[in-house]
Amino acid sequence: MADLSINLAGIKSPNPFWLASAPPTNSGYQVQRAFDAGWGGAVWKTLGDPILNVSSRFAAVSFNGQRVAGFNNIELITDRPLEVNLKEIYETKKRFPNHAIIASLMVEPKQEKWHEIVKRVEDVGVDGLELNFGCPHGMAERGMGSASGQVPSLVEKQTYWVKEAARTPVIVKLTPNITDITVTAEAAVNGGADAISMINTINSLMGVDLDTWNTIPHVAGKGAHGGYCGPAVKPIALNMVAECARNPRISVPISGIGGISNWQDAVEFILMGATGVQICTAAMHHGFRIIEDMIEGLDHYLEQKGVSSLTEIIGKSVPRYSDWGNLDLNYNIAAQINTDVCINCNKCHIACEDTSHQCIDMLTGEDGRSYLKVREEDCVGCNLCAIVCPVDGAITMVETAASQPPMTWNDRQAALNTAK
Amino acid sequence: MSEYKEFLTEKEQIDDLIRSGYRIQSVIENLDGAFVNFTHKDQGHCKSLHIGTANARKYFSSILMQQNNG
Repeated sequence: MADLSINLAGIKSPNPFWLASAPPTNSGYQVQRAFDAGWGGAVWKTLGDPILNVSSRFAAVSFNGQRVAGFNNIELITDRPLEVNLKEIYETKKRFPNHAIIASLMVEPKQEKWHEIVKRVEDVGVDGLELNFGCPHGMAERGMGSASGQVPSLVEKQTYWVKEAARTPVIVKLTPNITDITVTAEAAVNGGADAISMINTINSLMGVDLDTWNTIPHVAGKGAHGGYCGPAVKPIALNMVAECARNPRISVPISGIGGISNWQDAVEFILMGATGVQICTAAMHHGFRIIEDMIEGLDHYLEQKGVSSLTEIIGKSVPRYSDWGNLDLNYNIAAQINTDVCINCNKCHIACEDTSHQCIDMLTGEDGRSYLKVREEDCVGCNLCAIVCPVDGAITMVETAASQPPMTWNDRQAALNTAK
Repeated sequence: MSEYKEFLTEKEQIDDLIRSGYRIQSVIENLDGAFVNFTHKDQGHCKSLHIGTANARKYFSSILMQQNNG
């Protein structure tokens, strides 16, 4: 078996799969149950002054039969007294000394508040701290969570305060509800963060009931925005991880979060620079035992790749991610339709004709059968036909020989500047 | 005319000038595309082409890069 263990800024865990700070890590009972199932770590549900929650807290988007394509919550941080949580953390750590327990923390942006909670939490033996600068609902209205996380100076200052008191590694969890996450990531690094994690949830309203005109979810006829997560947010999260990973000023490890539902998603985040991943929605949807498939799948993948340790693949795809201006304008691909597999549904033709570049012809063969054919010279390689095609293998995007050497937009503009 | 045919027409115009000894002297790009000015290597004659298609604009840019590198 490959070595799946990770060391994220000094926090060690037997595998890269941590439960994210959320309802699944609300109690010692749950976290111990997760560790028994095989999870490598858990970020305890955010600790702070115990809050009051409302009833009716979650909602989900189902899309074309897929349940929980996106998930939304308006639940706040822990509603249990700190002492209760600390006792359970202590007991859990004692029972699982080799698993990572990270305490997620959220208090008002005051130095003494951070110092107090850091000391109390570290006294029970947590392996690290995660500062919740990301929750977008409820707590943000009180100046915490994403309200703090959207202001780079507050991110830096609060991280600094925590580092003044902390003896364990400090992870700063960032909000995606910001134009450029690298700005707040840099602020965290400047404040002394040992690692960053992303993304927290995205501001969202899940829907409106067409009969009652209430929001979904609603609380006695009123709604408020929640935090969106689940498979639908994965591309957003992956980009934010990649942007931070390729930024030379963000020199700390990354814990990737956002729509990770299986081992393949986890590998993508790790290839894009995450040292480990955190998961919530998939566990809420399917239960803790999804970890079994994740560990097995990851192990087989590494074995197939001839990799003995997971850490060897961290960030391997980062050099392949760049700015648009560095992409080769002379690289070409074109669609090819395999008529042996094609079912002639014509979705590709319609998509291309109506919304792309009108290069898929509907033709009739000598035998009277209709077939579809791509005019390769007019195909811009947009991928739309392959995306809408319902049959695997019917449309393949094939690289075509470049007639000119590679030329990026940046190369081109530099050349044009010489011809003025 | 398909865009590909338009590209071939514009490419042929560019190739004709290059074959005849012209080099790209300057390029002005605006909302209407690119106006590429050519100067003959030996005789100093000037010619201008209005290039509209995206592929032809890539094409003359590649030629310009090769010209600069060569």
